Amino acid sequence: MNLAIFLEQILNGLITGSMYALIGSGIALVYGTMKVLNLAHGELYMLGGYFTFFLTVQFGLPPYISIPLAVAIAFALGMLIEKLTIEYLIVRENWAFTTIAATLGLSIVLQNAALLIFGERFNTVPYYVQGVMAIGDIRLPWQRVLIFVVALAVIGLFTWLLKYTRLGWSIRATAQDRDAAQVVGIPVRRVYMICFGLAAALGALAAAMLAPINAISPWAGIPVLLKGFVVVVLGGLGSFPGAIAAGLLLGVVEAIGVQLTSSEWRDVISFTLMIAVIWWRPWGLFGKK
Amino acid sequence: MATDSAKPMLDVQNVNVIYGNYQVLWDVSMQAHAGQVMAVLGPNGSGKSTILKAIMGLTPVRSGKVFLNGEDITNRPAHEMVARGMSMVLERRRLFTGMTVYENVMLGAYHHSVQKYAKDRLEWVESLFPIIAERRDQIAGKMSGGEQQMVAIARALMSKPQLLLMDEPYLGLTPRIVQQIADIIRKVNAEGIAVIFNEQNVKLSFGISSHGYLLESGRVMLSGTGDEMMNSDVIRRVYLGE
Repeated sequence: MNLAIFLEQILNGLITGSMYALIGSGIALVYGTMKVLNLAHGELYMLGGYFTFFLTVQFGLPPYISIPLAVAIAFALGMLIEKLTIEYLIVRENWAFTTIAATLGLSIVLQNAALLIFGERFNTVPYYVQGVMAIGDIRLPWQRVLIFVVALAVIGLFTWLLKYTRLGWSIRATAQDRDAAQVVGIPVRRVYMICFGLAAALGALAAAMLAPINAISPWAGIPVLLKGFVVVVLGGLGSFPGAIAAGLLLGVVEAIGVQLTSSEWRDVISFTLMIAVIWWRPWGLFGKK
Repeated sequence: MATDSAKPMLDVQNVNVIYGNYQVLWDVSMQAHAGQVMAVLGPNGSGKSTILKAIMGLTPVRSGKVFLNGEDITNRPAHEMVARGMSMVLERRRLFTGMTVYENVMLGAYHHSVQKYAKDRLEWVESLFPIIAERRDQIAGKMSGGEQQMVAIARALMSKPQLLLMDEPYLGLTPRIVQQIADIIRKVNAEGIAVIFNEQNVKLSFGISSHGYLLESGRVMLSGTGDEMMNSDVIRRVYLGE
């Protein structure tokens, strides 16, 4: 294998990994703050894909308008879902089980609602940008470069938001100690709602960026959820920066693994890695014990 | 008692709290007045932490009422309390351990109703606890227990409370630190802030409080001024071993 192809695969791995990071960080944000494992996260991704498809293809909006709009709708929908389901369950004694059951149910409902409303057709969106970037022998479609740039920008934005804004402080404080957060005057329930919305927005953005490459169907969220789990386990459950790092790492490991074996082994590689991490470092590669 | 003539700042009336099938508080009533330091005494499991949590809105009250400055605050959410002039230091500090000292302290002035005080209050708490300026960027979880308690108290003072609740402020601290914390409580009180704290050790409590309640198995057994309490038969026999 020559060096250019190898580097190209590493870059492709980072690009895929940046999407894993967006998906995983949404799951991590909700788990870290609310201790709720959102099994409907994949369906929020799927709906984000549909929103993008309808706005871009049906309504003919340019991507720089349709994508932010799709993400905004997903944010609002995420908050609404939290308000209607989790809000009532999380205050009960058996919340740990009921929230898992509720999000699992929600996942099935959303899949079948999508099937009923949108049909089983696989929908794609045209490339947002055309052409191929060439540096020496390395060739990457601009579409993929765009995915990576957008992902990095959003990750940067979220890192800034968590570290320096009032909202970010309230999210981190709630994640670390819910009672203490309430006592200093943080409306914890509202923080939960916003976190759920932000997670949905992150998932929707990933779906929107991948829509030209991965077709949107009612089942599009299932593999996404599984990959998201691998990411949060590798990164340390509930750690936002851990999920980012683990997402990128997983993308690269898969890319190299696929080079050495074949593309059917992609999921085998990632789940083997996950099981190995559960075995050796159950707190995650980047988490604290 | 002179304090009975004035309207109480905090008025707890016949509060019952039940966890699952277990009743923790039985018809607990207590009053605290502006500017006082009040102690809630009692052994482990007497409900002395629960009553503070119930006042703050962290634990649901099954029946009974809690009034703060004449307003009914029963079962109001805890995050509203700082706006009403009450804040709390939780048991075992409960800092945001992954955040810096500065972030912890500033979060004490998070609520929009108290944000405007943040700058002045920060100066004041830094004068009370020099460690807050010195260790500004240290991760709070890496400090010693006594240092963490100071940050926790500073955080609770940032919202400019009239009433400060302290859940077992001396728990797990060395005698030297306990003396420091007691001095801090005096200083806080000297600023006109009423303090209610709970503690097992009777002698330690009446070193700084003017007034107290004794809880046992979730019921008020005794109340009165420090002297009255120290001279009561129950306290002398059970707690002082005389």
